[in-house]
Amino acid sequence: MEIYLPIAGMSINVFLILGVGGLVGFLSGLFGVGGGFLLTPLMMMIGIPPAVAAASDSNQIVAAASSGAFAHWRLGNVDFKMGLVILAGGIFGGTIGVQLVKILRAMGNFEFVMTVVYVLMLGLVGGAMFVESWRTIRRSKSATAEAAVAPVSESGLTRLFNKMPLKMNFHRSGLNTSAIFPFTIGTIVGIMAAILGVGGGFIMVPAMIYIIGMPTIAAIGTDLFQIVLTSANVTLQQAIVNHTVDLLLALILLSGSTIGAQFGAVAGKRLKGEQIRILLAIIVLALTVKLFLDLVLTPSDLVSLAPAKGGGH
Amino acid sequence: MKRTLNLLLACCLVCCWGASALAVTPEAQPKVITSASKNVVEIGLSYSGDKIFFFGVNPVSGADVVIKLTAEKEEIVKLSVKGKFGPLWMSVKQYEVTGSPFIYKIHASKPLDQIISKETAQKWELGYPAVESKIKMNLIRGEAAPEDADTVWKGLLKIKERANLYNIVEDPARLEIAEGKLFKHYFRFPPAATEGRYQVESFCFLKGELVGYGKDVIEIKKVGLEHWLTQTSQNQPVFFGIMAVFIAVAVGLLVGVIFGKGGHH
Repeated sequence: MEIYLPIAGMSINVFLILGVGGLVGFLSGLFGVGGGFLLTPLMMMIGIPPAVAAASDSNQIVAAASSGAFAHWRLGNVDFKMGLVILAGGIFGGTIGVQLVKILRAMGNFEFVMTVVYVLMLGLVGGAMFVESWRTIRRSKSATAEAAVAPVSESGLTRLFNKMPLKMNFHRSGLNTSAIFPFTIGTIVGIMAAILGVGGGFIMVPAMIYIIGMPTIAAIGTDLFQIVLTSANVTLQQAIVNHTVDLLLALILLSGSTIGAQFGAVAGKRLKGEQIRILLAIIVLALTVKLFLDLVLTPSDLVSLAPAKGGGH
Repeated sequence: MKRTLNLLLACCLVCCWGASALAVTPEAQPKVITSASKNVVEIGLSYSGDKIFFFGVNPVSGADVVIKLTAEKEEIVKLSVKGKFGPLWMSVKQYEVTGSPFIYKIHASKPLDQIISKETAQKWELGYPAVESKIKMNLIRGEAAPEDADTVWKGLLKIKERANLYNIVEDPARLEIAEGKLFKHYFRFPPAATEGRYQVESFCFLKGELVGYGKDVIEIKKVGLEHWLTQTSQNQPVFFGIMAVFIAVAVGLLVGVIFGKGGHH
């Protein structure tokens, strides 16, 4: 069944879009990521103009993330206080990041450096996560006694922030630390997201788990909650500035992804923290390999439609 | 008196003929009478391109026929060009291409180079070389290189051909001319052919000279929901954006509630 998308200016098979949306929604609910990394390139592959793909994608992420966040909230996995503090940091970091991009662009070779940094960082995060969760899985198999091991023991960083002012009790995350801590993490991820032009879920979730020390499932629920707000902002900006949100495309995508997100959240509940982490690590590593191959292999098309930089901030 | 008047009239006619023969507009040629199976195409929810049939009468029996479909609007295309940066492939420059038709299709009764000379093809903008010479490239990012013009043009052509927006068919089976006189063919408007006015021009050539010309205009327009969504996104972007976010949150929560109730909690 074909349907014509008014803003994208093309017709498309509804079931194809529903299926793709469902898959991305599942990943979103399971891992707490937006899924833009997967969906935007897929949409472009189908032939949707890059600007429309990015904008409509952020619109559907609002739906998938609210569906996923709602499911996680019912399961008690959303730390609203933590989410808002990180979000504030993210907006602050995003603003700094946009300015930094301008300065770095003027210096030249910016894209090259950033692409390489991005691939290296993704590889590092994915690799470290893989090793850590693999060890945890093996340990829990061999020694049944020490089951509840936190991902990281209290680091010097955690101790340092414990002494800082603005102490808050993050009940859901089981943490009692200074608000400056998550705010700083939010800022750093916000700067990176702006510079790299990605949503940042892939950096945010591991940062919440390993640096802030949140339980895996709470990190996922909380990240989904803050993705709802950030992607809503991006959608609004894209609609106002670029007129590129294709509501019809977003509607079909979100019909699939909201349902997928529910299944993802349920699947997340059945899996152990380390099992989710190892799966996320595998996806991050696969993405790293894909980006690396893009850089090394001779492209089939030297000339392509210029992608629009997504994101209003 | 009557004779003088006739003479005067004849003189006038000759003058007119001479003047129009000097002008380079194809309209100066004897008109090719054409007809399209429809002149208005409406884009509704289920639009997935359209096929329009065209008929025409060749003014000179046995003349070759070339038909060109173009969009009235010209577009600005931004293209990224990849290149090697050390050992890595990266997008190294960006070009803005102007003057390229949004759609460009040619049907000819035999290969173009057997019908007309290069100069004639250039004059009536028939064939890819004519399009290539018309477009302008403007470097936005990166450093220009001499081979860029060729690379960018070939890249653009590939993108357009893949979307079925550009093609050239030089096949007598595709453009039938019955007894050298009545020709018929069809153009397939791809789904990517969006709102706007399109022109279908019929050129008749005899021994490389233009002997007839005709033009049909096809209008494609959005109707119903498609029209409303497009208009709203353009004219009331703030309302449109808020609506998009609101719908997304509402659907997300709704699905959450439905699953929550039906689930195992």
